[in-house]
Amino acid sequence: MRFQTFALLSITALLALSGCANKKSKQYAGIDGDYVSGTPLGERTEGANFMGSNVERGQYASVQFGYDSSSVAADQESKLVAVADAIKGSGKTVIVAGFTDERGTQEYNRSLGEKRALAVREALIANGMKANNVQTVSFGSEMPVDPASNDSAWAKNRRAEFGIVK
Amino acid sequence: MLSLRRFLPLLAFSLLGAPLQATDAPTITVRKSDALNVAFVGIGGSDGALASKVAQNDLTLAGWLTLVQPGMASFMISGTFAGGVLQGKVVKGSEVVLSKSYTGSPRMAAHQFVDDIVLTLTGHRGIATSTIAFVGNRSGRKEIYLADYDGSNARQLTHDNGLSVSPAISPNGRRLAYTGYQAGYADIYVIDLATGARVRLIKFPGTNSGARFSPDGNLLACSVSKDGNPELYVIGLGGGVRRLTHTRGAESSPAWSPNAGEIIYSCDETGAPQLYKISSTGGSGRLVPTGFGYCTEPSWSPDGQRLAFNVRSGGGFSVAVMDLNGGEARIVAQGENPVWGADSRHIIYSTGSTISLLDVPTGKSIPVVSGLGKVTEPTWTR
Repeated sequence: MRFQTFALLSITALLALSGCANKKSKQYAGIDGDYVSGTPLGERTEGANFMGSNVERGQYASVQFGYDSSSVAADQESKLVAVADAIKGSGKTVIVAGFTDERGTQEYNRSLGEKRALAVREALIANGMKANNVQTVSFGSEMPVDPASNDSAWAKNRRAEFGIVK
Repeated sequence: MLSLRRFLPLLAFSLLGAPLQATDAPTITVRKSDALNVAFVGIGGSDGALASKVAQNDLTLAGWLTLVQPGMASFMISGTFAGGVLQGKVVKGSEVVLSKSYTGSPRMAAHQFVDDIVLTLTGHRGIATSTIAFVGNRSGRKEIYLADYDGSNARQLTHDNGLSVSPAISPNGRRLAYTGYQAGYADIYVIDLATGARVRLIKFPGTNSGARFSPDGNLLACSVSKDGNPELYVIGLGGGVRRLTHTRGAESSPAWSPNAGEIIYSCDETGAPQLYKISSTGGSGRLVPTGFGYCTEPSWSPDGQRLAFNVRSGGGFSVAVMDLNGGEARIVAQGENPVWGADSRHIIYSTGSTISLLDVPTGKSIPVVSGLGKVTEPTWTR
């Protein structure tokens, strides 16, 4: 009986793994096929406002994204490695702010911006940052770097910015 | 199957036909297919002019009624406004169909009178007493504004001087939820509109946004990213937190079914965003096929029959409408953020510079809000 249950679980787990082998299979919990979303966020640093005077912005280059994408491209990785290397030993908190271009509806852009910020956060954690020291916020299509409506402006605006809590 | 379907109504008709005819009572019967010819002879009395003007506009915008000369009308609409009271009347020949008094401002009394006329003559809830909420940036910052459904009485609700977006009004119109950034992150605030009291209700780490009230007004569905990915949550105004989705995509824009049992939302799990349906108690989201490759911001009509949503088509964004019982989605307007009104007939949406009111059956669209900067993310009571 126990063996049967075990066998069944193993088959389920195998099926679950093979079913998503093309994706990042390590991100799946296995037993019931649920996706473990990512690294849960730690408590916020209340009062730390990405747009406020207690957060230092603009020190580090923004990570840029493709259209409708929240994947950190290989050519962007050096930017976040620079942040992780500079901050991870200091115990400071980084706020990653996600932005989109102006295309797309508002609420969708907020979720896409958050996904970008979270993707950069995962990469910072993979590069040695403590999970509790990386917060996220999404501004969607607000505050574009370049307010023009063309491909070049849109490419600049699809980004994640770094803010260091002072 | 087809022959059976044809046969059943015939059987029902033959069984029920005789009793129905026998009990045909002398009450007004209005079928959807009837052209409802009404004559509006105005609202008299000392304060009648404004109420008359407002009611005339409401009757025109309602969509169900055709305004004609008294000689051609099936129904005659009249009223008097004096001493703060509107006495409204609708007659069919010598028969009084509606006679009711309304207190309040001439404008609000007229709106209430017209919603009663629409309900009495068509059986549909009206939109004239609805309140619109939307985002405007006239002050230089995005703030939440309120207005009557026809755009009058526009007023700025928030003065956060930060970023205030994604408003939702509770079905009874008493509360407004929105996404505010004044604490540095995206949080969901709830305002009691009568008292102005505000609570920072949802403030998990990460981004909390896109709250939508359940039909009974006691729950908020929203996007929460505290687990490391934007997921749908249902959160009670009096407490209680339930996670609905578990995907690698980003969920956004929940829309409640009228019976609160299901939620349709947008998710980009497979690439471009698509619409999915999930039980409001959790489970797995199922794709809602629309025929469009990019769909966001769904709105479920209060009668449960139709879905309005945004699609990307060509270079721009359009409003599409789809029958949930089958049938193809069709584009009905150019703009963003469609939301069904109480009558399941009108949609409000944003064109960027205006909030516009679309009568879906006729395709007529009129701007109701403009001049407040960029106006986006409209919603309304229903």
